[in-house]
Formats: sequence, C-alpha cells, structure tokens
Amino acid sequence: MSIVKRGNLKNSWYLPAILSGLGITFKNMILNLFGKRKMLTLNYPEEKYEYSPRFKGSHVLTVKKDGSIRCTACMLCATNCPADCITIIASEHDDPSVEKYPIAYEIDTLRCVYCGFCEEACPVDAIRMGPEWQMPGINGANFVHDIRQLAKRPNLKGGVVSVLDEEERHKAGI
Amino acid sequence: MPKVHINGKEIEVAEGTRLIDAFLQNQEEIAHYCYHPGLSVAGVCRLCMVEIEGNPRPQIACNTIVQDGMKVTNKSESIKESVKWVLDFHLINHPLDCPICDQAGECELQEQYMKFGQYDPEMGERKVKKRKVVDLGSKIVLDTERCILCSRCVRFTDEVTKTKELGIFNRGDHAEIGTFEDKPLNNNYAVNTVDICPVGALTSKDFRFKQRVWYLQDKETICPGCSTGCSVKAYYNEKGYFRLKPAFNEDNNGYWMCDEGRALYRHANKEERLLQAQVKADDGSSHMAPGAATKKLAAEIQGLDKQKVAVVVTGQYTNEEYDQLISEWLKPAAIQQVYHWKNKEDEWGDFDGLLLRRDRNPNSKGLQDRLQKASLVNDWSQLEKNLEAGQVDCLVVIGPEIQAYYDDMQDKLKLFQKAKKVIWLSSNPVENLVADYHIPMKTYLEKDGTFVNYSGKEQKIQKMQNIVSQALSLSDFAYLIAGKEIPLTGAAS
Ligand code: SF4
Ligand code: SF4
Ligand code: SF4
Ligand code: SF4
Ligand code: FES
Repeated sequence: MSIVKRGNLKNSWYLPAILSGLGITFKNMILNLFGKRKMLTLNYPEEKYEYSPRFKGSHVLTVKKDGSIRCTACMLCATNCPADCITIIASEHDDPSVEKYPIAYEIDTLRCVYCGFCEEACPVDAIRMGPEWQMPGINGANFVHDIRQLAKRPNLKGGVVSVLDEEERHKAGI
Repeated sequence: MPKVHINGKEIEVAEGTRLIDAFLQNQEEIAHYCYHPGLSVAGVCRLCMVEIEGNPRPQIACNTIVQDGMKVTNKSESIKESVKWVLDFHLINHPLDCPICDQAGECELQEQYMKFGQYDPEMGERKVKKRKVVDLGSKIVLDTERCILCSRCVRFTDEVTKTKELGIFNRGDHAEIGTFEDKPLNNNYAVNTVDICPVGALTSKDFRFKQRVWYLQDKETICPGCSTGCSVKAYYNEKGYFRLKPAFNEDNNGYWMCDEGRALYRHANKEERLLQAQVKADDGSSHMAPGAATKKLAAEIQGLDKQKVAVVVTGQYTNEEYDQLISEWLKPAAIQQVYHWKNKEDEWGDFDGLLLRRDRNPNSKGLQDRLQKASLVNDWSQLEKNLEAGQVDCLVVIGPEIQAYYDDMQDKLKLFQKAKKVIWLSSNPVENLVADYHIPMKTYLEKDGTFVNYSGKEQKIQKMQNIVSQALSLSDFAYLIAGKEIPLTGAAS
C-alpha cells in the first residue's frame, strides 16, 4: 500500500479537522446527556444487546416435550458442516419408536464458522442457532460443547422444545 | 442370437436373457426392487415397467424373456407415469424415517423417491403402523414397517440357504415379513439378506449406527476367512474398517459370503492391533519400532548355527511374501528347517455345501506350492522331535493373522516354548505368548498380493489404508532379517 500525499494547502493544516472532530464529539455528548434513550453506546458488560431470535449465535439442541433430546443422530448436520466440527456418536435407544439417538454430540465452537448449515440440514428441528453470542472462557476452558451444554445450559431454562413432534405425527397417522 | 432395441439402441443378447438383464448389461437405468440376479423371479414390486412396441400395456422387464426384434423403452412418458404411481403405492405405508434408518444413502427406495419427489404419500388414509426394531437373533434387526414386501429375503432363505426361516405373514396391507414366532435368523449366511434387502427393513446389528454409509469408501479384496476366498468389498474411512460385504464373483462366490467372514475386518482395527514390537529384555519387555527390532534380531541370529534355526509358516500370507521370504532369507541363509503349521489338516476337506471350507487359511495352496518348489517340505513331527531334543536355538513363527481359527493355538504355544528363542510374527497380540521378539505384521487389508484358493485360482488382494503403518509385511521382514534394507520399489508392499 502506498500513501498518497496531496500537496494542497487545506490538507496541510490539521487544526480544522481536529476542531470539526471535537465538534461532533461535543454534539453527541450533549445529545446523550439529555436524550439518554437514543444513545448508541452500551455499557458492556453490564448492559447487553439482545439480538433477534433469528441471529445465528450459540447452538441449541432442542428437546422433546418430555425433556429428552430431539436429535435422532442422523448425522446430516455433521455431513453438511463445512468446518467439520460436529462429532456425533449414535446408539440404539431402548424405545423402539425412537430407535436411534446420540449418546454424544459435540460441537467444537472454536472451529465452527457460524454458517448455520447444520440448522438448515436438520430434518427434525433438533439443532438451532440461538440469539446468544457470548461464550467467554479463560485459558484452558473447554470450547467443545457437549449435549449438556447445548441442550440444558442455564440460559435455555430447561430446554427449547422442538416444533416437530414424532408422537403427534404418529397420532395423525403420518 | 436375438436382437433387441433398448431405448432406441440396437443390441444383441444371449438367447433366454431377461429383459431387465438386457437393460442392466447396457447400463440403462431401470428401477427394480424384487429382481435379484442371484434369485428366482418374483415380479412383485412392479417397478421395472417397460413399454414393448405392439403391446397395449406396460409390462415388467424382469419376467419377460427377450424376443428377436423387440422394441423396448422405459423412457416414455407413460412408463414414467406408471413407475411414479407404483412408487406411490410402495410409499403408502412406508414410514420414510430415513434419518434413523441405517440404509439411508444406499437405499433404492430413497433413490427412487428422491428422483420422483414423492416425499409424502398422496393417500388420505392413515398409515398402517407395524412392528419396529424386531430382534431376529444376534445378527439382524427387522423393521416390518420399512419393508416393501419384495420377498428377496424370503427367496434367499428358500433357495440359497434352504433354511426357510423367513416368510410373509398376514394379508393385504397388514402383510409383514418375519420368522415364525420371531425365531432368530441365525444361519451362517443370514446377513446376506441385509445386503439384498433394497430398503432398511433388515439391518445388520454389527454395523447398525456405527457409521453413515456416505462416510465410507470401499475397495474390493479377497476374504481371508477360508480357502474359498470369496470376493469381498471392505468399507473403511479414516476411523478404521467397518464392514465387509460380498462382491460379485461369477466363478467363485457368486453374490454371497458367509457371516463368519464378515467379522474379518475387526482384527485390522487399531484397538485390536499390536502396535509396537515387543522385545524381551533382562528387565522385563520393552517396546521397539518393528523395523529396528527386526534389525536387532538379525544381528543376534547372525552367528547362530543355521541347522538350529527353525521357521514355522502359516497359510495366511500372500504368494509374493512367501517368495520374498524364501528368496531373500531362507535360501541365502541356507535355512532348511521350514514347517507348515496346518491346523486340523484332516478336516481340511470339509465343506458346508455353500461357501465355507474347514481350511481356514486363504493361501494354504500358495504356500504349499512354494515350499515344494523350494524343496523346503518337512514333516511336522520332525519339528516336535527337534524341539523335544532341545535342538532348536531359534524358532521363528510366522503366525496366523486370524488367530480365532487356530484352535490348537495354546497347545502349540506350549510346544514352541521349548525353543531357546521364540520369535513371533503376527498382526495382533497373542494370548499367553512368551516370546523374545513379537513383531507386528500388516493385515490383508494393508498390502497388495495374491492368494490361491482351494481350487488353485489366483486372486488379488488390495491395499486400502494402513492402520498400523509401522507394521511389517512378511517381505519387509525377510529383507530386514537377512540384513538388507527394504527396497523402496518393487514387490515389497
Ligand atoms: S454453524 Fe456451520 S460450521 Fe458451525 S457447526 Fe453448524 S454447520 Fe458447522
Ligand atoms: S441435530 Fe438434526 S441433523 Fe444433526 S444429527 Fe441430530 S437430527 Fe440429525
Ligand atoms: S425385508 Fe427387505 S428383502 Fe425382505 S421383503 Fe422386505 S424389503 Fe424385501
Ligand atoms: S466362505 Fe470363506 S471366504 Fe467366503 S466369506 Fe466365508 S470365510 Fe470368507
Ligand atoms: S423387479 Fe420386476 S417386478 Fe420387481
């Protein structure tokens, strides 16, 4: 990159630019002092921004009405994931109407690119990307999120219920 | 020979060919569920519809024999329409639970409905619910709901194994596949029904939910389970090997393989393998890289009296490896005491009538031929005598890769212990083995080579992927023990 210096008189004076900058600062200070609600800056971390529910933030594994995990371990999300960061271990379920479920479901959130392809691939609304976006951790924290974290973390207040209910479908004869 | 026009192309086929085979031989797509070239024709799925010029209605291709001058097509609009509706009939009661179905990815029904876009049945009625996850013994799980009643599995147990376990029970839309009172389907060829089931109604317990099929690659090789040497496909990915399936081999195993053979991928996976050479030292045993251990061994046995070195070979290695062993080591070192370890040789002629033979070595014939040619044939009793007399200073046992089939293993171990120094070569750990050197070998899935089956037929095995890459092939061992380096090119695998 090269820096182009324009040799005209106006640009060689820095004071006008500084003054106009300070002017903007003072204008906004006055506006913010008297019209607090319109203020754009947040006092993070005391205040947090709420994104819309459609925001592609932290993954959520949804649950059935009885609180068990909705995922059927079909691996479509893992297949679709461009970052190859989903690991699922499937197992036989005792209930023949469930048949298959994941005994392990892990997302490596540091490798995830938050593209939302997993959510799109899932045939049963078992994985969603929610509005949460803060996942801080100190050195050595575990950024590979497991089922407990994905489905039952405190923020989810007991879990998000999937819109697709197998039992209802069975009852409807589909 | 009759000539037929198939989708506008004129081709010549053998007398008595089925129309469906004429399509398949010419790489023309034709959907079919009930037809299987290894079984009789049932004509029940009605999916292989074709239009024959001069016939007013569509006909099924699997039950029609080719006639000279026939003009056949399955690309016309009316055929597409009828196939679509036949498919719709198949989907009336099908649960379409592909996400949990193990067949997804290799399911013919899934392929067809994806093509025709029939995601939901166009019926107002409710689906008939049937039994799911029916346990049919130790190998197979049945889902009667997913079954499309093509009867392939029934015909297999009727015609191939003649055990007749499976049948269709009830009538109409309540008809379902099953065994009488859910008796287990445990014959030694049962898992072939899983392979031929076009949908996920029959699934294999061993493979169920381990991997999605689209994560797997496959390559053709030869089953090492017995001297029949069935052609098989091994399925694998970077996590290891997951299953074996039969590959079509017209003049050997046809379309099938036995269930015992299907388990022969497990011993190749990392959890069961010997990863490092185990070398006995004064202070217990130590681990070494296999190549380094063999070099150390080579230096140790250099000075030994070659009359007192004995080699025991099993028929589980390839021709190429035996050749190298003989030409690189045994001949130059003038080792005469070479013995062929034959487990239960008197039963080797036993045959189950279908595929499985009692000689559980894939290459006994190849080994015998090679020992004969090199005039290294010795009687086993001679080895026993020499061991008893303390005449063997060093015994190299080129042990079996599939140990489970050597039921005399523990007796032989006791016998071999009489040698002053025991060197054991095998791909897996051996129970109760006390050896001075235990050197890890490659399995049949990790090398190229040739097996000779019971009838003298030479068949190639293929290298797929290494699980234990430092393991040696027998050729590598031959070079190293002879004090040479492994050549970078050439026959060594
Ligand atoms: S958001 Fe994208 S990268 Fe992250 S887990 Fe889902 S599919 Fe993979
Ligand atoms: S989250 Fe959805 S797509 Fe992923 S394995 Fe579970 S059911 Fe399948
Ligand atoms: S179980 Fe499979 S092979 Fe047997 S009739 Fe049903 S669909 Fe056909
Ligand atoms: S019959 Fe023999 S070669 Fe064929 S699959 Fe069985 S063990 Fe393997
Ligand atoms: S394949 Fe011809 S009717 Fe089934």
